[in-house]
Amino acid sequence: MFLKKLIGHEDREKEVIRDMDSHLRLLQDGCKAFHEAIERNDHARMRRVKELEREADTIRRDIVSHIYEGAFLPYLRPELSKFVELVDQVFDLLEYASACYLEIRFPDSLRSEAARVAFLNQEMCGMLRLTLQATTAGEDLREKRLAIRIYEKRIDDLKFGLMHDAKAIPVEDFWEGKTLSDFLSRLSSVSDVIEDASDHLGIISSIIK
Amino acid sequence: MKVFEFMTTRLESVDSRKSVYDAVEKMVDRRIRSLLVRFPGDDLQDGVITARDIVYKVLAQGKDPQAVQVSEIASRPISCVSKDLPLREAAQLMEEDGVARLFACDGNRIVGVLSMMDAMAAMLILRARGEHVS
Repeated sequence: MFLKKLIGHEDREKEVIRDMDSHLRLLQDGCKAFHEAIERNDHARMRRVKELEREADTIRRDIVSHIYEGAFLPYLRPELSKFVELVDQVFDLLEYASACYLEIRFPDSLRSEAARVAFLNQEMCGMLRLTLQATTAGEDLREKRLAIRIYEKRIDDLKFGLMHDAKAIPVEDFWEGKTLSDFLSRLSSVSDVIEDASDHLGIISSIIK
Repeated sequence: MKVFEFMTTRLESVDSRKSVYDAVEKMVDRRIRSLLVRFPGDDLQDGVITARDIVYKVLAQGKDPQAVQVSEIASRPISCVSKDLPLREAAQLMEEDGVARLFACDGNRIVGVLSMMDAMAAMLILRARGEHVS
């Protein structure tokens, strides 16, 4: 019903929506790999994040090109593209954080809190995917968007604790300290961008109504 | 969803021998409504002091919070549940026992606290996932 409202080539729209869902599924897998890697200090698992980011990049390019080849009405195309770019930004943050993690000996005193944030990021991705599905089904997004804001606030609470604890970590040199700081900064920013993506789905939903 | 997924793991506490005023300062600085009260022995000997205890048992009675020890007004024993308890059951326990928080335990060790706000947030997420009972 949602697609019928948009007028256009339904098959093309369906393909884009399928790809957007796959894009988010990959993001969920990426967040899961990231979380497990921190929890178990598994470097192989952490390297998987980069592989998933590359796969996601391919899907992203396909989505954007299909959108501008004629899927959806012109006024919707920039909004859909923006959503896809926001999801891509989350992946970029994860990829950079994973690279930072692999460069340093991650302090065990921060592991459990960092893993907790990573777990909540993973849950947020799952909720974002449900929100996209609800958007394309023309459903009300209110409860799902609130759930995402709840996650984001919980991560905010944990983030300040992590930064406080990080100050007590002795580092061998400037670069080790900077890399750890960059890791924590990227880890904490993932939830902010997911929230932005969720807000953008709200905009898309309003445009369509 | 289980308790451990939504509990707070950073536990703020106060020694049972400290004054209520010490507890008040900590609660104001940290913007929290309760503190775990550490008594000698293992974690299961601990208690809890809340803003409600402080207001009802000390301040409203005109007592000097610097002259009252935390141990005198703390509630013991704490309500402790398994960290793997399903959230819905935890919420029902809160209602049955009339408590606003549950401490999650792993054996004899307190590993987290689930507050009313935590339980509410978790249940809203379950609703958003479509996992609530209609």
